Amino acid sequence: MERNFRKTVASLDEVFAFLDEEFARHGPDPAAAYALTLAVEEFFTNFVKYNPESDRDVTVGVLLEGESLIVRLIAYGVDAFDVTATGPVDVSLSLEERTPGGLGIHLSRHMLDDVRYEYEDRRSTITLVKRLRP
Amino acid sequence: MFTINQREDGEVVLTGRFDASRVAEADAVLDRVTFTCRVNMKDLDYISSLGLGILLKTQKRLKTSGNEIILVNMNKLIRDVFRIARFDTIFKIEEA
Repeated sequence: MERNFRKTVASLDEVFAFLDEEFARHGPDPAAAYALTLAVEEFFTNFVKYNPESDRDVTVGVLLEGESLIVRLIAYGVDAFDVTATGPVDVSLSLEERTPGGLGIHLSRHMLDDVRYEYEDRRSTITLVKRLRP
Repeated sequence: MFTINQREDGEVVLTGRFDASRVAEADAVLDRVTFTCRVNMKDLDYISSLGLGILLKTQKRLKTSGNEIILVNMNKLIRDVFRIARFDTIFKIEEA
């Protein structure tokens, strides 16, 4: 199932409601649902922040593929910007040295089994993969 | 649904879903905190990286004056997020 959402942070409540419906159908455990929700928020808000050149809706789709729950986010009419290519965050830094930058990507990488970025025909696609069983 | 309130005893209470759309709301309350205070997360279901960023900013500001925020009653899922972000090393976390 997929749905389109206005590319604004104000759409997050609707995005979460859609995810909740889809997760109720597919039955990920609470930790898997949390991980996917956090990553969707991260990448959706990145589309809002880093792709202002287009105001077209963002598509969010959820599907079960074998033992994995896949969520895809697609932004249309945008320049390429691979946020997944950012370097690792040093989470061992002291409080004074820590900054919030990159934290969402760090969490997504650690909580999910795969995070992929593809760019084609001015379309950015983020694919998030969470295995439901080990 | 997200709420953030500071009680008369100074404790800040977070409930619901603390996501990117709630940053301004949370900032408005946490910016007023000037002394060590407990942040009760008993009914907080979710926090994202943007929410963590607000807590980090507040902790940095308070520490410069020898104060801090102390996080209490965090659920297991949120505690895992704190562990992965290594925020459990920069915040005091209490069970109750």
